[in-house]
Amino acid sequence: MSAPAVARATVHERIVVVRLADAAEAIAFLSLVFGLLLVLLPVSFPKMIVNSWERGQLMPVMMGLALLLDTCLYVRIAIMRSAKPGLVAAACLGSLPLLVVGGLSLLLQSAVSHTLALDMSNLQLRVGEEILAHTYLGLISAVFLPFLVIRLLQQFKATNS
Amino acid sequence: MPDWTSLKWLGWISLYVIPVVFLPWAISRAWAHQHGSDLRPRPKLLFQRGELGLLGLVLASSVIWNLLQSQFMPHTIALGSVLMALGGIMAASVWVETYCRESGMKSWHPKRAWRDSRNLALLVFSMAAVMEILLDRFAKVASR
Repeated sequence: MSAPAVARATVHERIVVVRLADAAEAIAFLSLVFGLLLVLLPVSFPKMIVNSWERGQLMPVMMGLALLLDTCLYVRIAIMRSAKPGLVAAACLGSLPLLVVGGLSLLLQSAVSHTLALDMSNLQLRVGEEILAHTYLGLISAVFLPFLVIRLLQQFKATNS
Repeated sequence: MPDWTSLKWLGWISLYVIPVVFLPWAISRAWAHQHGSDLRPRPKLLFQRGELGLLGLVLASSVIWNLLQSQFMPHTIALGSVLMALGGIMAASVWVETYCRESGMKSWHPKRAWRDSRNLALLVFSMAAVMEILLDRFAKVASR
């Protein structure tokens, strides 16, 4: 095999190395879009989120959105680096967004039940704001945390090898 | 109807961004002018060691402080604080890593340090902005 062919094969087999900054840019954009929607549609956007939470549709939608965003980001990074996706990273991206959104939905349930236990007049509005905050934080966590875990695992692997 | 009063957080965050980004750039230009130097520093050169990551940490700390003062449920405060802290720490670690590499005579890439710190500082900035909007909304609801 010629030297250029060996070099090409090595490049082809290299597993993609994720840097947190690659994901950070996209998450920042997502965050700004969320903020802009809150400013431009201060009533209808939160109402839509609260209504979908009451109908039980919010968490499946968030899981699907987080999975889609994570996959697109990872594939984009792999294309940018001309490297192939790794198995551990794919497993992280496939499971962590679902676990994070699932876990945070339990936390939201708990926050809502604690709010409803308070003796206040504007409970419905407070619950709505809690749901809105958890939706934002859940979405950001579900996209950011898998990449953080992948990055830390890669660093751990590099230190041990 | 858009709620433009929520945008007051922009002025608040600018109080951090202007002294940290604009001031060093302006002072370095003034220094070059005073000393007759050809130096024309750009933010990319000025913050090539990942110093913007430190801005991220300062921003994250102040948003955590505001969250702790809010009337959100402890669950929400904890989640928001942890997420902001993670963003801030990862942003600051870019500067730490670059400093350690430079001091340890290991190879370091100014372009990479600048890009990483810029993206992570942007992430913390955007999260801080949305958290401030959410805090503003909640304060209005709580005061009714």
